[in-house]
Amino acid sequence: MALGVYISVPFCRTKCSFCNFASDVVSRAVHTRYVERVCVDIESADRLAAEMGATFTPEVASIYLGGGTPTVLEPANLERIFGTVRNQFRVCPDAEVTVECAPGTLTPPMLASLGRCGVNRVSLGVQSFVDRESASVGRLHTRAIVLDDLARLRAAGIANISIDLIAGLPHQTPESWEYSLAETIATGVPHVSVYMLEVDEDSRLGRELIAGGTRYHAHFVPDDDATADLYLQACDRLNAAGVHHYEISNFARDAQPGAVDRPITRSPDRPIGDYPRFASRHNLKYWTRQPYLGFGVDAHSMLLAESQPARATMEREISEYLEHAPNFGGGRDSQEANFYARRGLESVRFATPDSLEAYLAGKRHERTDVTYADALEEAHFLGLRLNRGLRARELGERYGPEAATVFREQIAELRTLGLVELDDGATRLTSRGRLLSNEVFLRFLHGAGEVRAGEKAGPV
Amino acid sequence: MDRQHIRNFAIIAHIDHGKSTLSDRLLELTGALSAREMQGQEQVLDAMDLERERGITIKAHCVRMNYTARDGETYQLNLIDTPGHVDFSYEVSRALASCEGTLLVVDATQGVEAQTLANSYLAINHGLEIIPVINKIDLQSADVERTKEMIEGAVGLDASEALLISAKTGQGVPEVLEAIVKKIPPPKGSADARLQALIFDSWFDSYRGVGVLTRVFQGTLRRKQKIRLWSNAKVFEVEVLGVQSPKPVEVDELVAGEVGFIFANLKNVADTKIGDTITDDERPAIEPLPGFEELKPMVFAGMYTVDAHEHTMLREALEKLRLNDSSFFFEPESSVALGFGFRCGFLGLLHMDIIQQRLEREFNLDLITTAPGVRFRVTKADGEVMEVDNPSKWPPQGEIQKIEEPIILATIISREEYVGAIFKLVEEKRGKQKNFEYLSGGRVMLSYELPLNEIVLDFYDKLKSVSRGYASLDYHFAGYWESEMVKLDILVAGDAVDALSIIVHREFAYERGRALVSKMRELIPRQMFEVAIQAAIGAKVIARETVGAMRKNVLAKCYGGDITRKRKLLEKQKAGKRRMKRIGKVDIPQEAFLAVLRVGEE
Repeated sequence: MALGVYISVPFCRTKCSFCNFASDVVSRAVHTRYVERVCVDIESADRLAAEMGATFTPEVASIYLGGGTPTVLEPANLERIFGTVRNQFRVCPDAEVTVECAPGTLTPPMLASLGRCGVNRVSLGVQSFVDRESASVGRLHTRAIVLDDLARLRAAGIANISIDLIAGLPHQTPESWEYSLAETIATGVPHVSVYMLEVDEDSRLGRELIAGGTRYHAHFVPDDDATADLYLQACDRLNAAGVHHYEISNFARDAQPGAVDRPITRSPDRPIGDYPRFASRHNLKYWTRQPYLGFGVDAHSMLLAESQPARATMEREISEYLEHAPNFGGGRDSQEANFYARRGLESVRFATPDSLEAYLAGKRHERTDVTYADALEEAHFLGLRLNRGLRARELGERYGPEAATVFREQIAELRTLGLVELDDGATRLTSRGRLLSNEVFLRFLHGAGEVRAGEKAGPV
Repeated sequence: MDRQHIRNFAIIAHIDHGKSTLSDRLLELTGALSAREMQGQEQVLDAMDLERERGITIKAHCVRMNYTARDGETYQLNLIDTPGHVDFSYEVSRALASCEGTLLVVDATQGVEAQTLANSYLAINHGLEIIPVINKIDLQSADVERTKEMIEGAVGLDASEALLISAKTGQGVPEVLEAIVKKIPPPKGSADARLQALIFDSWFDSYRGVGVLTRVFQGTLRRKQKIRLWSNAKVFEVEVLGVQSPKPVEVDELVAGEVGFIFANLKNVADTKIGDTITDDERPAIEPLPGFEELKPMVFAGMYTVDAHEHTMLREALEKLRLNDSSFFFEPESSVALGFGFRCGFLGLLHMDIIQQRLEREFNLDLITTAPGVRFRVTKADGEVMEVDNPSKWPPQGEIQKIEEPIILATIISREEYVGAIFKLVEEKRGKQKNFEYLSGGRVMLSYELPLNEIVLDFYDKLKSVSRGYASLDYHFAGYWESEMVKLDILVAGDAVDALSIIVHREFAYERGRALVSKMRELIPRQMFEVAIQAAIGAKVIARETVGAMRKNVLAKCYGGDITRKRKLLEKQKAGKRRMKRIGKVDIPQEAFLAVLRVGEE
């Protein structure tokens, strides 16, 4: 399977108040040091995979440069990264090459540089078309800047553009949200991501919301119910405009409206056989458990384990899992522990440190072993994120004939709760289920957690 | 020592009126403890931390002092220190029964308080010689004359010869010793008569078994003697006889009139009932000493550990405490909301508080206690009479013919200006006035019949608050009233939450129900569906609130393929759910129950 390559650029011009990523505002000299380190890592990917007991084919189907704000890098640094990737891997000619951009950072030299790097997709962190809402969370751009960026990207030949929006920003109302959605649709971009504002202690706004303060406009943040309504509003509007919902937070068109002379409208009940044409191919790798490599700070990789157990072993594992699954509910009992001790690995995940200092200091990767049982759980809680749903046949092909029946009881319960529905061979979330997806997903965890390398002996 | 030279006495005093300090001075003056030994160890008799902290005596003690009086004779003075709280009035009465006289210590700056009064009446009923002692005369605010008037007015004693002392400075204390010798009569009884000795306290010693504090009224207790306990006819051999002075000193015998302790290979505190009579097995007394009662718990509550894993530790701790205190009882109980715990019975609220605090401090347990209640007498339609101290055992309303609840007679002494507020409070608590009297110095004394069920909730705190801390309260059990009590259930999505059920007077059901329901609404997290929280009497819902269904619990971003992060987040949520208690199909964090129960305590 061809790889997805992710490169993290943890730098920004300013830090948004809702941000919970490992990004920061630092000097140019640090940028260069960082890029050097990333390039060294890309060059030693083979060795790293071997160390981790993993394997990959050096063929790349997607590259994603995420942030932070990758466009704060000097064009030279940007080109160095892409040059190294292309030297190290065989990048498919039709590969999806995405760079995340903050509106207002696309200077002519930057646009030219993106062209030289072979970038064919840009994800624009718009968040809102209402300037006051963007400003309230520390964004520096305005609606006018966004529209200007879009025009210049298209002029530079990059028409595959994604717009990020956030539902639940301070000051947002159903009316202002309607406006942002309409503006987004009117731009004709083929991809839209709608995130709901997350309140956690990792962002300034989140901390303030929890503490009840006002500095970051926390008191103007719509409550959970209102945010849920905004999300549903977005699903309705975007689907109706032919920007099809294909993952909890993602929407894409089947064609560029600019390419035809009339706006594309589709009925919302269109059967979802596959992904819309402009779905993010890189992000699909995460949700469908395709291998990917991440470089830079807080970058995550998943590769197949080097020594795959025989098909028979795998099938035996799944049937044992099936046999013991009813007993797993209460927690780690000895039977469960035994089961997990004997398991083999399906894949390996590893991650770099999430702080710039630790990363530059050369701190080692943290490895997570993924057994067949874990893989099966993940296949469920990742696969269900997609509107396409889970298909018994596909699960069976990949994880063994019994894979689709392991969670029969859970799925039955979820159907009664109205969170999951079944039709034409697919199991998928209902609209309510999407908003309550964590409640759905945690039913696919049997609670034993994962065995971290070094914690427990396992076949490495 | 011959009986003529023995004096057995107690000290009656309100909390902080100076009983312990006076005891210290007496020990010092009689040389039982040197001033050096006393140094840095005030209030020698209150050994438990809790006793020192709260200024109350929980366990009785007795100390022998030898005193050479001004008449040149040496006397044996036995100070019997009594518990100082209304919950222990029976123990107090047994300790007083072991004396011929008592000091009545009154703080010259405070005057007579309700408990002092109650204990003084006990002493008068036992025919004790009472010596009024006015303490703290060294203080600026001391008002000796007014205090004397109060002693005369409220207690009805002649206070003209009251001793004026300062236990703190020692002023007047020698006169106290003289008065004990001169005014308190020596004990009666014969060393040769058939043995009658009164048990007035017992405790558990992990090396020697149960120790018993006893007063010999007739006959002689000797080592190796076979003794018999009257109430259960059990026979034991005396192994150790001794007195505390205040260090334990072994003696060969205790004769009529003397006070001391015995160890007789007793294993179980429950065998040594306070008020019971010890007699000789071979030559038993004709009859027991009067006044013995089986102690019955009056206040009941469920006790649970916050951490379910500590349940076994709680049982062991309760068993250990019971070794030392046979007056509280416990039996296993289980609750859907709180897991496994114990239904416990106590003599009163302070007793409950002490047990709870000892469990928390000495055994390091984190406890949750359900709302305290009393034991109701329920007559069912078929004529069966049952005693119910646990809401879970309350019969269905339709099967009930009559409910009677325990009543106390409360005596409240307060300043005149707070009478209005106290009236209001007592009326709210369904009290019936029995007596109203003006004492001297702007004080009033109120007597009320009140349902114990109202007292156990928050009466004492409220009384203190409406009287700015000036009211004092004493009460004793005074029978039963027929009352319209109902069982109030709290239902979550149609299922009753057992730990929150209470027995409440019909008049208060709505108010209590409203409060509980609205508190629960704040505390129950949103579920996947709408959850009704109701307060109900039987099938009749009297209050209702709704927790709306959860709308949103979603992790939107993909975090660059960080599946481990997603997994951890989901596992955290799942672990959170496991810690919840499930009532029907609703998950409720245990903290919610704790918070609601704690609200009830306020």
